[in-house]
Amino acid sequence: MAQAGVPLWAADDEIEEDFQGVDLNMAIGNYGQNGLYDEVQSRIDEAALLAVQQQMQQQAVFAQIPDQVKRFIVHFHQAVLNNNLEEITVAYESGWNRLTEKFYAKTEWPEAEIIAPLVSDDPIFLILYRELYYRHVYSRLQPNVDDRFHSYENSCELFNYLLNSDEPVALELPEQWLWDIIDEFIYQFQSYCVWRSRVKSKSDEELMLLQEASSQGVWSAYSVLNVLYSLIQKSKINEYIVAQQQGKSEEEIAEIVGEYGVKPLYRMLGYFSIIGLLRVHTMLGDFTLALKVMENVELNPKAQFTRVTACLVSTYYYVGFCYIMLRRYMDAVRGYTSILSFVLRMRQYHTRSYQYDQMNKTADRMYALFAVCHALAPSRTDDNILNTVKDKYGEQFTKMQRGEEGISAFEELFIYACPKFISANPPPYDDPEALAAYVDEPPAEPVHRHLALFVADVRAQAPVPTLRSFLKLYTSLDATKLANFMDADEEDIVQQMMVMKQASRNVSRVGGEKGLLEGSVRPTSDLDFVIDENMLHMVESTVGRRYAGWFIRSTENAQRVLDTLKSSPLPGPGKSAQAPNATAEAPRTGGPKVAWGGVKVA
Amino acid sequence: MTSESITASWVTPSTRPELIESLVSGVDRYNPSNVSILEDYLYHQIRSQEYDCLANLAILKLYQFNPDLYNPDVVINILIKSLTSSPFPDFNLCISLLDDRPQTAHLDEPDPLPQLLPILTNLHSLLHQCRFPAFWALYQSDDLQSLRDNYTVEVVGFEDSVREVAVRAVQSAFTRITSARVSSYLNLPDGSELEDYISKFGWTLDSASSVISIPPNVDNKIESTVVQENIKLPQLAKIIEHTAVTV
Repeated sequence: MAQAGVPLWAADDEIEEDFQGVDLNMAIGNYGQNGLYDEVQSRIDEAALLAVQQQMQQQAVFAQIPDQVKRFIVHFHQAVLNNNLEEITVAYESGWNRLTEKFYAKTEWPEAEIIAPLVSDDPIFLILYRELYYRHVYSRLQPNVDDRFHSYENSCELFNYLLNSDEPVALELPEQWLWDIIDEFIYQFQSYCVWRSRVKSKSDEELMLLQEASSQGVWSAYSVLNVLYSLIQKSKINEYIVAQQQGKSEEEIAEIVGEYGVKPLYRMLGYFSIIGLLRVHTMLGDFTLALKVMENVELNPKAQFTRVTACLVSTYYYVGFCYIMLRRYMDAVRGYTSILSFVLRMRQYHTRSYQYDQMNKTADRMYALFAVCHALAPSRTDDNILNTVKDKYGEQFTKMQRGEEGISAFEELFIYACPKFISANPPPYDDPEALAAYVDEPPAEPVHRHLALFVADVRAQAPVPTLRSFLKLYTSLDATKLANFMDADEEDIVQQMMVMKQASRNVSRVGGEKGLLEGSVRPTSDLDFVIDENMLHMVESTVGRRYAGWFIRSTENAQRVLDTLKSSPLPGPGKSAQAPNATAEAPRTGGPKVAWGGVKVA
Repeated sequence: MTSESITASWVTPSTRPELIESLVSGVDRYNPSNVSILEDYLYHQIRSQEYDCLANLAILKLYQFNPDLYNPDVVINILIKSLTSSPFPDFNLCISLLDDRPQTAHLDEPDPLPQLLPILTNLHSLLHQCRFPAFWALYQSDDLQSLRDNYTVEVVGFEDSVREVAVRAVQSAFTRITSARVSSYLNLPDGSELEDYISKFGWTLDSASSVISIPPNVDNKIESTVVQENIKLPQLAKIIEHTAVTV
């Protein structure tokens, strides 16, 4: 019912009194008001008494809910029922957040049962409401063990509803929300894994619940993966992408993807699930599989599925990280450069959502990873990004160039920027003996294992920066002489040279490969060398002067100036400038004439 | 071995049968009952000197989700096989998928992995740092007796595969190299045996100076390049359009 202008719930207090749209009493109906009290008088049943007390409590809480919030919920519900995508988007993106800031910044929203009467107990809306409710709890407050299990149940209900219906559901939700559903689901899974692995602080009740939970598969890796794979299969998103790339017509595509795949809801959920899989596999340490599931997706900021910026940023972050663990530093650098430039441009559109903070945090981590990659495979890169990196991580940046000494800087940045790794398996909650042993000697967290692998790689390349600085000074150099400079054994030096050669060759995508795992070996550095028995020969490749951009800009500028001149009226009495006058003008001014001549030649 | 084929065949080796391909690329890889198919394929790789990284990672992933399937011999063999793939990151990828504390209650014998893992990691880092003489010294030392007797002896052509790692490293960095050096990298005595081995790669030995020449390849042929700017028509389109209108 909201017209263009101020949405209902944002209206000022004065306007609230005048409001005619939503009749709260009608929405509530007879729920608990009239008939129940008489019933209680006649039957003194303890269970009924408890139920009544609960209801009275609920009603008390209900009464405390601000009217603005009640109106918002009703309006939101209406929008969802009517599949009014615009209204839903506004309610979701700004309404919910405003009311959270205003009333629920430090507490939970009212529970779904309490507000149920406002929406006539609509189960679907309540599932969606709970999704928002738990997201709020996880982000602003600390979820307790009940919250964790209930949010899992709620997610299962939602996915069940979407996947196990006889035909595609009629629901329509904004893409941002769909992404948030998947993103939040995985976040809650990861949060649960982290919480689960902290055995020491658990109360007895929690221990019991955890035992029960793992036997039922609550928040198990298999169930999370199952959801994601099911969404992908249901929406046939991979077939859709391939068909799009092959340029098939709309009808052909519709046939290929089936009745579920043609609906935007399923299609977007399918796509976001692919990104979800990328994320989950990376968190579990399976980097090749993470890249493999992205087989058909085109990583290109201009491609189709990029309307949700948060999704794009997340994708590039995880793909880049997988490349780092695969020692493909150039690919990682390339990815991070393009997404960071994109984020800088997009920043102005996202200033007010909570997405903005999230994106900025991810961007910061990507700058750190960029610094790491640049230290391991220096090559010509975008100056802007490089400068920002030096601003943010200048200290570590210089340290990392120093080989063995810089290892602590590498560790620092890695730990800061890496994804939150999880272990697929819970501590042995079902076996008290094993659990006690576990507490005495807890295993290392997954992040340390990955850090150790990364540091080993870095350490292997530690001699390279020093060698490079020596080699830059010569075109040919005897290995024995170099060994003397470095105060090391000649054979050691030769072996380190082989390492340097190895380090300067990365597997990299050159364009035209199918899938993210493919690529060919490319040189990364502009300094190359070869060893002839004992003599090292070096060459450096350089970049020729770039003049095209400057000339094009100057030419366009001159054209603009000339256009302005031509179209501006002549000073003094008489007619306005016409073509003959313009040509009469031209010879008088020296500079523009030359440029004009230049343009004609071009 | 051109650069292109290394990566493409790493992802999809030509020796991989269709059944394995469908397991690696589909969702059946999560089905625990398929683990024996993949394990058999691993033993096939061991016996026929083939190598399929992604299939072996699939085994480790099944172990990750189903700790009661954990078989330390399989894991050790996978790690040994991945040593021969250096400088590809296969060894690291395998370690990433290992559980820090695998469940061993269902095993008949004590788990050999905790002792062998540091040794294998050591061997890997020596290979990765191109410290080949040190690798051979460690490999042949007494400490590694049990590794050799129980595991690497089963892997057909293990030593040759490691030699190929050294060959790749040498090939990319050298145009000529003394045979003494090559002999220490390949753990082959200087002489006719060495000469036979290197002729497989097209290297030639000059017996007079005992220097081996390596034919030029992509990596050991260096030339300085100047990266020129490539001006494309679309960049000039705006200017040309403008002249078309005004002139």
